[in-house]
Amino acid sequence: MIQPQTHLNVADNSGARELMCIRIIGASNRRYAHIGDVIVAVIKDAVPNMPLERSEVVRAVIVRTCKELKRDNGMIIRYDDNAAVVIDQEGNPKGTRVFGAIARELRQFNFTKIVSLAPEVL
Amino acid sequence: MATSLAASFQIRFSVSNLISHDPCHVSPNHNGLRSSHLSESYKLHRSIHKPLRSPVFAPMALGSNTSQDTDDMYDDLFKKYGKVVYKRNDQKSPIAEVDDDAECLAFAVAMAKIASDVKAAEIKLLFVKPLVYWTKFFLITTAFSRPQIDAIRTRINDLAEKQYGKFATGDSKANSWTLLDFGDIVVHIFLPEQRKLYNLEEFYANATPIDLPFEDQQMFGR
Repeated sequence: MIQPQTHLNVADNSGARELMCIRIIGASNRRYAHIGDVIVAVIKDAVPNMPLERSEVVRAVIVRTCKELKRDNGMIIRYDDNAAVVIDQEGNPKGTRVFGAIARELRQFNFTKIVSLAPEVL
Repeated sequence: MATSLAASFQIRFSVSNLISHDPCHVSPNHNGLRSSHLSESYKLHRSIHKPLRSPVFAPMALGSNTSQDTDDMYDDLFKKYGKVVYKRNDQKSPIAEVDDDAECLAFAVAMAKIASDVKAAEIKLLFVKPLVYWTKFFLITTAFSRPQIDAIRTRINDLAEKQYGKFATGDSKANSWTLLDFGDIVVHIFLPEQRKLYNLEEFYANATPIDLPFEDQQMFGR
């Protein structure tokens, strides 16, 4: 349940550390974003000497949410944090590695690139 | 933190995997995979037989020793306390799995051949099934321009549709990293810069590279 003003961790090595959601992409009046949704976010905290800087506006894909993700088979996945991966306009990740476990649903949303960079897919 | 959760998931998932698999699923000798020809694929798959690690558990960053130790530990635990209480119905028999792998390999090699026809460079076919559960083969190639990427993409899609009846998801137009997802095979077409940047081969360094029959010609052409 990510909405504008939600702070998210960054799950890649792009150089951003913390994001704040400012818009959900895909619908005009949507309240919440979930795993696999693209958001527009502003970088609130960044690693020094990296290409991304604080207060830059970027696109990101949500990869982990504290809100449970339910599957058809009854499995429920809930993470400890809200996390996103920074992408560019074409959908390529800006970082080169993704950290932490991510859900396989991302593949269905056409983010196989992120899945293939992840160390673990649940 | 997420990592702690991930760890708990790993354990739970691995154990459930052990329950669903037969206990003797560790086959450490996977270096005998280096066979190139399609005719040899049968031999290849006999040697593959079973994935190295449990499918969900894919710690590529870890050394093979650690995961093998963990697997051994789980095997011991299973032998001591475990019994099969539930087995999924949709699991294939080992023979069917080998057949499936052989079919995918043939498809992947055909795609690699097409990529080489369109003068893609550094074509690599990786058998990633032991590392990740969600696919079997990675085909990684470099193209030097977007029109070339487009050509490779169109030709591969045509072949897949006409001969194998498969349809790709993924990128629908040329991208600096174009990805075609055929389910069991994932094709990555990079521009040289992106290939260096993302360095997928290093990330999947534990995967078994499969020699392609036309590799020498390709090296000669460059």
